[in-house]
Amino acid sequence: MAKKLKEVDVVIVGLGWTGGILSKELTDAGLKVVALERGGNRTTQDDYALPGVRDELRYVVRHDLMQNTARDTLTVRNNISQEALPMRRLGSFLPGEVVGGSGVHWSGHTWRWTDMELKVRSMYEERYGKKYIPADMTIQDWGVSYAELEPYYEKFERAAAVSGKAGNLRGQIQEGGNPFEAPRQNEYALPPLTKIHASEMFNAAAKNLGYHPFPRPSANASRPYTNQYGAQFGACEYCGYCQRFGCEANAKGSPHVAIIPAVMKSANFELRAHSWVTRVIKDKSGKRVTGVLYINVLTGEEFEQPANMVILTAFALNNVHIMLTSGIGQPYDPKTGKGVIGKNYCYQTGTSATLFFEGKHFNPFMNAGGSNDTIDDFNTNWDFDRSKFGYIGGANISGGFNTNLPIGYRPVPRGTPQWGREWKAATAKWYQAAMKIDASGAVMANRYNYLDLDPTYRNAFGQPLMRMTFDYKENEHKMGQHAAQVINDIAKSMNPTHFTPAVARTDPWTVVPYQSTHNTGGTIMGVNPKSSAVNRYLQSWDCHNLFVVGANVFAHNSSYNPTGPVGALAYWTADAIRNQYLKNPGQLVHA
Amino acid sequence: MKISRIFSMTLLAGFAACGPAQAADAAHGQKIFAECAACHSAAKAPSGVGPSLYGVFGRKAGTLDDFRFSPAMKRANIVWSRETLESYIADPQKAIPANRMPFGGIPDAQNRADLLDYMEQTFK
Ligand SMILES: Cc1cc2nc3c(=O)[nH]c(=O)nc-3n(C[C@H](O)[C@H](O)[C@H](O)COP(=O)(O)OP(=O)(O)OC[C@H]3O[C@@H](n4cnc5c(N)ncnc54)[C@H](O)[C@@H]3O)c2cc1C
Repeated sequence: MAKKLKEVDVVIVGLGWTGGILSKELTDAGLKVVALERGGNRTTQDDYALPGVRDELRYVVRHDLMQNTARDTLTVRNNISQEALPMRRLGSFLPGEVVGGSGVHWSGHTWRWTDMELKVRSMYEERYGKKYIPADMTIQDWGVSYAELEPYYEKFERAAAVSGKAGNLRGQIQEGGNPFEAPRQNEYALPPLTKIHASEMFNAAAKNLGYHPFPRPSANASRPYTNQYGAQFGACEYCGYCQRFGCEANAKGSPHVAIIPAVMKSANFELRAHSWVTRVIKDKSGKRVTGVLYINVLTGEEFEQPANMVILTAFALNNVHIMLTSGIGQPYDPKTGKGVIGKNYCYQTGTSATLFFEGKHFNPFMNAGGSNDTIDDFNTNWDFDRSKFGYIGGANISGGFNTNLPIGYRPVPRGTPQWGREWKAATAKWYQAAMKIDASGAVMANRYNYLDLDPTYRNAFGQPLMRMTFDYKENEHKMGQHAAQVINDIAKSMNPTHFTPAVARTDPWTVVPYQSTHNTGGTIMGVNPKSSAVNRYLQSWDCHNLFVVGANVFAHNSSYNPTGPVGALAYWTADAIRNQYLKNPGQLVHA
Repeated sequence: MKISRIFSMTLLAGFAACGPAQAADAAHGQKIFAECAACHSAAKAPSGVGPSLYGVFGRKAGTLDDFRFSPAMKRANIVWSRETLESYIADPQKAIPANRMPFGGIPDAQNRADLLDYMEQTFK
């Protein structure tokens, strides 16, 4: 029997980026907030200090900051004719399990997604005609615009210490920034990071071919910085250990540095670590939630935490899982296309080339999470005519590298044996002399890519695992071919000694190599309860006192990393709760 | 022995780069301290990511009770003074190899002088 605790105003499920933002905003509004986080509470001084944080075995191989698959994982398959099997070891994506969430071990690339994404269906239909969008591509508009999100993007960029160069300030194109970005009111919080040599070379080559390279905006502080919550950031030391590690210099925009310490000071706030939420409880009417059930993973005790409002901020995949196990909203069925929970799960695609320059010293051990240059000529550039290539979306292409770890990073030219004396010689010769050009490609929603509960496998708490059915479709294949061609043309123009060309991926998606933790969709936002799970304020269409915050609300995935809009939407939701919902609790949108 | 030799070398190099002594500027030093402030407190406060710098002048390196110092720092066997701090922040890894401070150093001698002025004024 679960022990019933005293009711609070708000329960926050998961304390990463979105949980941190909502906790801060709602305690500031005077509400009593309890955050339940399945992971432990770690700090820079005790846990991410030198030299322990340099442990590649612990953090990269053994996934010390990430979800423990012995407790909970997913089953995966490529299509509905297959039987899904449990992912017993993390691979393709690495969700965090610690106070700060994946925000502790992310790289920090922070983008503003534009109307080209937020109004994807209407803009493509208008420009290319209704028939251009394939029948099984279930893309839809998100119900929010860039102009509405602009101030919230800025708020997040300031909280997370994002370094970058504006390319469009209030409509004026800025030299050195991304000319294709949507207009910004203000510059970035900090100037761009120092370029690494490989990025300088990429920048020159891209310019030479008529493209528009710019420094990647990233939550790695290029200077010492104090954010709006008084959090002090050190300057990035370009240590080369960014993704998968906590930052020892407090230079990375991470929730446990940027925002959680400020929340912890509030008497309205309580953090309960090691608390795994299994389910949201509905009342009899089914129109309200009354709290959550959770398990203390250290003692095994079960608790019911009653609350006036529940906010799911447990990362995209976990949010969808909790919605499914709680039975809130109709599960999506790919055969009929009906239902909303699990719908429009998306991921990302990509391809890359490795360039070898005999005699170069790139110092691959020295870089920031985002110290490379990139081009958006085939991404946010709406003038780029996709009809020649027949796809929707785009690919952001970047040159350089980040987090090349001393043990794991071993670039060698094609044809080198994979072990033995020759491999050793090649690794010594090329370690210093290699760089990459990468494409990160969008994935459009497809009718047959979705999430639901697995019929067979269960987690440590006896709940069904979530089942992921996902594969790349023709749109991604076409985009990959085009991106590979662009990459290879840039690479050739740089005259490398050797070069392993980019190849478009056409093989099925697999869970084994790491790709990105940019999982999106599953409880998408929209304008209609028949086709979306939450409204434009991320409020559940079914239960008005439940908000579901994270990339799970993205109606499709773009080429960009997700956390810019994840953070912006968290602030946008907080604003809607503070200024609308608290005054008049109920559905904020009537559809 | 080795450490003190490095110290004197760095010191000489520092003076040479400095040229005719310029008036140090503690207000500017306070701005430079922003580079340290994410880890080190200047006020009387417990240690954080780095050891508290309150009362650092005259303290033996690696001896604060509430901070876990690296073996390198404990072995350094130096007492913090304007001179030892100056050489340390010029190039921390050169001054005390294998210490754990994740900071590349302040190469500019004038900036170091200003910073130390600020530090002396604030927490001597
Ligand atoms: C290696 C890596 C690199 C990345 N790089 C980038 C990048 O460069 N740019 C970018 O935009 N994004 C990047 N990301 C993704 C980014 O980290 C996430 O988008 C972001 O952290 C999402 O914020 P969130 O609040 O939704 O989830 P998180 O920050 O992950 O927080 C969710 C929290 O909920 C907790 N939780 C989950 N389930 C439960 C439960 N049942 N009960 C209680 N607590 C629960 C988790 O333990 C976690 O602490 C990267 C991710 C990884 C893993």
